[in-house]
Amino acid sequence: MRRTFAQSLALYATVIFTLLMILFPVYWLVVTALSTTNELYRLPPTFWPADPQWDIFARVWAAKPILMWLWNSMLAAVGSVALSMLVSVSAGYALSRYSMRGGATMGLFVLTAKMLPATLLVIPLFSIFSSFGLIGSLWTLVLAHSTMIIPFATWMLKGYFDTIPKELEQAAMVDGCSPIGAMVRVVLPIATPGLAATALYAFVLSWADYAYARTFLVNSPDNWTANLGITTMQGEYVTYWNDISAASVFIALPIIAIYLFLERYLVGGLTAGAEK
Amino acid sequence: MANISIRNVSKSYGALNVLQPFSLEIENGEFVVLVGPSGCGKSTMLKILAGLEPASGGQIFIGEREVTDLAPGDRDIAMVFQNYALYPHLTVRQNIGFGLKMRGTDKTEIDRRVDDAARILEVTPYLDRKPKDLSGGQRQRVALGRAIVRQPQAFLMDEPLSNLDAKLRVHMRAEIGALHKRIGVTTVYVTHDQVEAMTMADRVVIMQGGLIQQIAAPDELFNNPANLFVAGFIGSPGMNFLNAELRDGQLTAFGQQISLPRATTHQGPVVVGLRPEHLTLGEGPVTFRVRPTLVESLGSEKYVYFEAEGARITDGEDGKSKGLIARVSHSGTLPRNEEIRLGFDPAQLYLFDFKTGERL
Repeated sequence: MRRTFAQSLALYATVIFTLLMILFPVYWLVVTALSTTNELYRLPPTFWPADPQWDIFARVWAAKPILMWLWNSMLAAVGSVALSMLVSVSAGYALSRYSMRGGATMGLFVLTAKMLPATLLVIPLFSIFSSFGLIGSLWTLVLAHSTMIIPFATWMLKGYFDTIPKELEQAAMVDGCSPIGAMVRVVLPIATPGLAATALYAFVLSWADYAYARTFLVNSPDNWTANLGITTMQGEYVTYWNDISAASVFIALPIIAIYLFLERYLVGGLTAGAEK
Repeated sequence: MANISIRNVSKSYGALNVLQPFSLEIENGEFVVLVGPSGCGKSTMLKILAGLEPASGGQIFIGEREVTDLAPGDRDIAMVFQNYALYPHLTVRQNIGFGLKMRGTDKTEIDRRVDDAARILEVTPYLDRKPKDLSGGQRQRVALGRAIVRQPQAFLMDEPLSNLDAKLRVHMRAEIGALHKRIGVTTVYVTHDQVEAMTMADRVVIMQGGLIQQIAAPDELFNNPANLFVAGFIGSPGMNFLNAELRDGQLTAFGQQISLPRATTHQGPVVVGLRPEHLTLGEGPVTFRVRPTLVESLGSEKYVYFEAEGARITDGEDGKSKGLIARVSHSGTLPRNEEIRLGFDPAQLYLFDFKTGERL
């Protein structure tokens, strides 16, 4: 069916508007980074700096341990993804495939952890971590982020496993696989889009955290994550927003790179052809 | 190849019995079809046989070996599923060879056997494709290939044709029959389609409500149904049933007294069964007059629907009953609501107990 001119206009207008909504903050971040301090406070604002300060990125990179912050964020995020995926894949698969007494209730109970705000959990987590002598270590973030990720990731994965026909595992078991073998050899490869989406969700959640890092790591500058590091660039009397924006661009880049890398796995429809 | 012995196998979920104690001896190389309406327990029985569901009681032997508590992979059986259950991430070659690989078969041996199976099932050109690039019929062949490549003791097939369109189903039915003749592996086949059961089976097991109703060869089922359920299930269109009274060998039905050729001591109410194809247009040993309520033409044949006193009419697939049916050879036109004569031979009547439904 061909679209009419009015329909096309409405469609493109919607797409462009949505894109603007999403991309404007990114654009404004770059503009802020490239502007001089005086330009930032000018009214009306300038939408592209008269003299873009391209050297700001090099200056900020040299002045602040951005690489170390990024590395710490990466360690915390990769650790959180690894731990939470290990737990969520097993739990989601069990909830999807095995009926057990109270299984549904247990599944819902897992979600209650997600309903509590992170700030509420900070205090008990702090006391647990300090009794184990973990305060100041990146392990606090891996564990704390996993408590946020696992409930939701478990349900995401359960939903994905539900879409995979049980007959595939049954066929694999008749073909000689153990139940775990059927999961590893047949279900997980088919669930790649679901696993990728969940891993991405977990990564972003961990990468974006500030509250836990601020609470558990504030006295250990060597373990500061990127988000925590950036906030220390805010001065008591003067704040250089262009420096902070330049650092923020560095922090956004890995997430963009990971999205681009995982995008090909996020495509569904891999199970097409398993059934009629 | 092996014989299969199912001894008193039952299945229940709590208080719900889905399979009453089920016993069946299947000969080496035999093709047995389990048939019945949805929920009759036929698929459950097959899954228990495959080891995909634990039995609540009873024993299963494949050959001399008891397999009741063995894992599916240790039973040396192959299964074909209704939805094919092909591994979507593997190529056709990998799909067919998967079971051999799991059993640690040598790579060159896998290739040789996959090529053999592919040749038998004519899927050689598709060996490097993924299942999503195949048609329904090709997928079904790959699923069969995955079963035959392992040369198992038995094939289990769970409604393997029901996802195919009508024409392809008839074609694949013949192919599965030919394949069975060629490799002669003991096969247990589950279907709800009586035509599949009748055309493919050496023996048919008819089930209802988790209970075996009759085990017999197809012709035997048709000619000598054990009870009302079997009589109504086998045959298309289904058998006509009427409530009637039996006194001293005289049956009161179709508004007349009919002398039964076979001696029976039964007295009182009975259910009479008469196959639509045993009714003829015009005079017969017993003749009665009806006004057709509907006439469906199949060209050389007509389905004549009519009403009669005492008719037991079950709702058709569309939820509406059309009455009793006569299937008559007639190529002319039969006007509706104009009286015609139908005849039958009382020797072809079936009598069933009014209360139990058992054949008299």
